[in-house]
Amino acid sequence: MTSKCETTTRSLPGCAVIELSGEVDGSAADVLSKAYDEAVVADQAPCVLLDFSAVDYINSTGIALIVSVLAKARSQGRQVVASGLSDHYRQIFAITRLSDFIQLYDDIDAAAAGVGAN
Amino acid sequence: MSTQEQQPVQPVAIEEIELAVKEQTVAVPKTKVPRDAAYWAPKVDRLVVDADKAAMGFNVAGRRVTGPQQGFGKLWQRTYSAALRPTVSPEQLISEWKDHFASFWPKGNRFGGTLIAPGEVAPIAVNTGGGLKLSTGVLVLYADPESFTFMTPEGHMFAGWITFSGYVENETTIAQIQILLRTSDPLFEMSWPVMKLMEDRFWRQTMRNVAAHFGVTRADITGKTVCVDTKRQWKNWRNVWHNSGIRSVLHLLTAPVRLVRRAR
Repeated sequence: MTSKCETTTRSLPGCAVIELSGEVDGSAADVLSKAYDEAVVADQAPCVLLDFSAVDYINSTGIALIVSVLAKARSQGRQVVASGLSDHYRQIFAITRLSDFIQLYDDIDAAAAGVGAN
Repeated sequence: MSTQEQQPVQPVAIEEIELAVKEQTVAVPKTKVPRDAAYWAPKVDRLVVDADKAAMGFNVAGRRVTGPQQGFGKLWQRTYSAALRPTVSPEQLISEWKDHFASFWPKGNRFGGTLIAPGEVAPIAVNTGGGLKLSTGVLVLYADPESFTFMTPEGHMFAGWITFSGYVENETTIAQIQILLRTSDPLFEMSWPVMKLMEDRFWRQTMRNVAAHFGVTRADITGKTVCVDTKRQWKNWRNVWHNSGIRSVLHLLTAPVRLVRRAR
């Protein structure tokens, strides 16, 4: 399956950032897994920030992928936070109860400040 | 009573009202509706069961939904798939699967849902052997033309999501069931070695039934189980309070009391 999800990774103090764009669905598994590995290898930060500002589609398989990232990060002792979620995706994070475990921020700057403050 | 003198009301011209309405309309920014918006269930705090399914849904009404992170045991991803004929599109597969969902389940188990649509709550009764039916249910979390996902309520054997989907691979349509789960509590975790075998039989038979519906009589079912997180979540041990196994037994034992009450 060809993925319509793209990622870029970068580092902020205390946080490895994965910026997602396009569609987060089942076909994004390899893209997301690779981005996670790149981000945490390049930056041994205790936190991984997933930025959804440029995401315009998430289905239930995509949410399952995010759970897998969360599980992987937690098993490595890393915190996962998210930013750039529209009201719609905030609601999805609420109903799937992902927001019980992932701190949500308005944007990357707010997330970086929040993670730094913790 | 107010002693203030009332000011005379000035009449407003129709043109002014129209202008105000027009400006208001222009001023309101148009919110872009995401393409997936119609596919997701609205947020619910506690599940509600339709009155006609209340008797079957006693372990569902008032419960909260649980994702894998609310469970207790290790996090598993189980995948079952079967190849169908190339003439069946993923959309056809999912449409038929939604319409006949209950009939694809192995005999002795009951799916109480009437519609596979986002937000629907379906009580279920699972045959555990020995005559005991374990009563629980699911929420339809997501449904689009090529997939649908169930989320489990508190007390279900598993905390997690089950996704039924269809996709094309090498010009063949594949039917797939993917489950992301943790056992809900320590008691279910202890019975996991047995439960996973029962679960395996259940979903393989479901897949065979789906394949047979599309004319594939001897479907080759492939199964894969991956442990995504080996850690148990001990902080969630209290989930045992909602354990549907215990509550189903209690419900069975107290059936005579309910009968007497109803007779009065």
